Amino acid sequence: MTPNVIEGGAPSRGRASLTSFLKNVAPALPLLAIIGFFFLFPIFRLIYVSFMSNENTFTLDNFRTTMQEPYRSGFFNSIKIGLFSAAIAALPGAVAAYFIESRGPVKLRRTISVMSGVLANTGGVPLAFMFYAALGIQGQLTKVLKFFGWDIYAGRFSLGTFLGLLIVYLYFQLPLMIIVFSPAIVALRREWAEAARNLGASQLNYWIKIGIPLLFPSFIASFLLLFASGFSAYATANALTIGDIALTPLQIGGLLDGNVSASQINLGKALGVVMIVISAFAVIPYLAIQRRSARWQKR
Amino acid sequence: MKRKFDLPLTITLAVLALFVFIPMLSAFEFSIRTPVKGGYGWDQYLWAIREEEFFYYIIRSGWLAALTVLITLIVLVPTMTWLHLSKSTIRPFVDGISLLPLVIPVVAFAVGAQISFPEFVQDTVLELPFLYFVLALPYAYRTLDIGLNSIPLKTLTEAARSAGANWWRTIITVIIPVIKSAVVGTVAITFALSLGEYTLTVLLHWDTFPTWVTYVAQENILGAIAISMMSLIIPFLVLTALTLIAPERSTQGRK
Amino acid sequence: MSSKSLTLRNISKRFGNVTALDNFNLEVGVGELVALLGPSGCGKTTALRVVAGLEHQDAGSVLVGDRDISQTPAHKRNMGMVFQAYSLFPNLTVEENVAFGLQMRKVNKHVRLKKAHELLDLVGLDSQSKRFTHQLSGGQQQRVALARALAFEPEILLLDEPLSALDAQVRVNLREEIRRLQLSLGTTTLFVTHDQEEAMAISDRVGVMNNGVLEQIDTPDALYNKPASSFVASFVGTMNRIPAHITDGMVEIFGSKIVALKRGNESGKVHALIRPESIAVAATTQGNAKVLTRSFMGASSNIICQTADGTIVQSLMTSASTGDLLPGSSVQLRVLSSEVLVANV
Repeated sequence: MTPNVIEGGAPSRGRASLTSFLKNVAPALPLLAIIGFFFLFPIFRLIYVSFMSNENTFTLDNFRTTMQEPYRSGFFNSIKIGLFSAAIAALPGAVAAYFIESRGPVKLRRTISVMSGVLANTGGVPLAFMFYAALGIQGQLTKVLKFFGWDIYAGRFSLGTFLGLLIVYLYFQLPLMIIVFSPAIVALRREWAEAARNLGASQLNYWIKIGIPLLFPSFIASFLLLFASGFSAYATANALTIGDIALTPLQIGGLLDGNVSASQINLGKALGVVMIVISAFAVIPYLAIQRRSARWQKR
Repeated sequence: MKRKFDLPLTITLAVLALFVFIPMLSAFEFSIRTPVKGGYGWDQYLWAIREEEFFYYIIRSGWLAALTVLITLIVLVPTMTWLHLSKSTIRPFVDGISLLPLVIPVVAFAVGAQISFPEFVQDTVLELPFLYFVLALPYAYRTLDIGLNSIPLKTLTEAARSAGANWWRTIITVIIPVIKSAVVGTVAITFALSLGEYTLTVLLHWDTFPTWVTYVAQENILGAIAISMMSLIIPFLVLTALTLIAPERSTQGRK
Repeated sequence: MSSKSLTLRNISKRFGNVTALDNFNLEVGVGELVALLGPSGCGKTTALRVVAGLEHQDAGSVLVGDRDISQTPAHKRNMGMVFQAYSLFPNLTVEENVAFGLQMRKVNKHVRLKKAHELLDLVGLDSQSKRFTHQLSGGQQQRVALARALAFEPEILLLDEPLSALDAQVRVNLREEIRRLQLSLGTTTLFVTHDQEEAMAISDRVGVMNNGVLEQIDTPDALYNKPASSFVASFVGTMNRIPAHITDGMVEIFGSKIVALKRGNESGKVHALIRPESIAVAATTQGNAKVLTRSFMGASSNIICQTADGTIVQSLMTSASTGDLLPGSSVQLRVLSSEVLVANV
């Protein structure tokens, strides 16, 4: 066993370093074992099998197919809905978080925090029901809008279209933005605003020179997380559409269900791997930015 | 102290309230319709509760969620306490790994899970709590991490140990009470996530309360709406009540 | 810009039901360093924040020189302020922080950075100018905050418990530095603290506050030796309170008759207020007190005794003269002054 460099400088004799190694790692083994078996193993297997052809030989064909229709559109649409739903929810969510966290009384803040948690997790069939009831053809809000002269169903709109999905996605993206962005607002110390004023800065100056520069990275990070959330959403899209919109999560779901069979049996795995890569492009920068921001956000 | 009416805040709250409650109330209105008799009634709710599968699935989901919470607490609390105390070199590694599930879309994970587990694991619904544990890990880990950071862990542990407590007693009787709010937060997040988990569950062909609701929708849409309402509003009310009742803990010192 | 005087006139401020300041008056002369000293909640920070414009007074006025600035918004008041902690902008480097006040006054970049470096040099931190807040220690951060507050040559300098969050040794060094800078720049300064040693060590005058009221404002010397009230007497330094009885303007303490200095209507049963250094302790066989503890502090020792009627008396003597006074030994206490302050019981 190679001697490990461990704090305290254990002598690098075989037996001693084995004990130090175990002491350093052993208590974490149950956790690591569970994560390893139930998480890492499936992911590695996914990646491995995605390179397997039907005859169990190595191939890139699965990935080639992912770049063809209809999967290409699937990725395009999924990325689009991720970006758009994030874009629409980000600024309102940030503004709402600002007013709530900086001016709301404690009980309000806590209630909103809990509510946002529940709402951010809402999806699938229950969410679809709520929107059918509100904005469906027979929906309450639809009727009200019609009364005021706006028939939203006059064109080709329905909740199962891209625009419809976007509106519904907003329902959980907005609370998610509030949850993810609020800590940055909370971390803005009152002393900074006061010091800025004392040094001659108007409110506007404070925001331009101090407030916004500090909040901006967290804002971008939150946007990235919202993108990943919109991109990966399955249940809600599944409940609202009838298969006429190409979205990657739905395509994978179809392949898993057996409702759709592809000639390449491992196509779904390849789709999954590409999903992971796209998601990683958003989530990893999110994590990196949050880590950096933590330096000044420490209370 | 500002006593004057805060217009921007009020407007924000009003807009949010409209946005959140219009869909909810619309669906609620649908759910209390009684098409046969005309007018309104609780018929759908009564029907739902009388369905024998209703309680079966609630208990099933509740049980799975409870198991997930149990796994989370038993595995995370001791391990993280140790990580914080021992200054182990693998701590950054574990910190990083705990965030990994955030990177992986649930759909992709479902594909991987489907092809990975041997028969005996796949056949038992007990695979779900462990999978839910993985899904909730980033949030649970972070909540506990913050909690453990905010207490004088080393001092407390040394005090307990020198008074004669062994490791388990120390954790149960000293550490957990001190990080109570973090533990409660972890339990809440893990429980809520497990109860509501749909994607992974349905793609792996398991039945829980959320998947059952989808199934009911094919036969009795109004009934399904009623059930959905219950599954939304009840946790909502319970959590809000808990929040308002809980003693105010000033973690931020706003003078 | 040369410094001006600072005047607070009849300032009142309430927060809900709590009166933070009650008809508060204060004058700080040009170039003077005045400390506001008092326990938490006495109103000292409120007074400072009213001067800065961060709180708005319910009544009264604030004047800088002859100028009434009571309605001037905070960012136009031209005062430098140092907060207790955490006030440096985390997204700006040290030099950008210090130059910020000049930047707000539209000073060109080259000039303001040069001035920033001058001040950083004055506080000994020029080498850290390109660093960020989180890379500095608490003491360093406060020195940068001080430089930042002085960079634009304010008429008034305000310090809100700037040393409270720092380690003891850093505190002592930094307070000397603050005083040194203040004297060399001649800036009128108002300094808020709850640490009486700090206030006494560096101030021209100290104002002792209690419950929104200024009890006494005087030089440190006068505060110590001629406290105007019981509160001031106990708050500043240590004070013995010995029960006594006034007869014909005299009190009898430890067997000697001493003149009682009355400030008000004290009569009959009173407490005589005596500093520990005014009480001598001598070993003897049948004394009027017994030693409880003796704390050796180097050059001097603190001896705590108890008299027959149970009163605890503290004495401060040179260690040499106390010799071997063991706990339990019998001693004779004696008052060294010929007059004592008295207060009602």
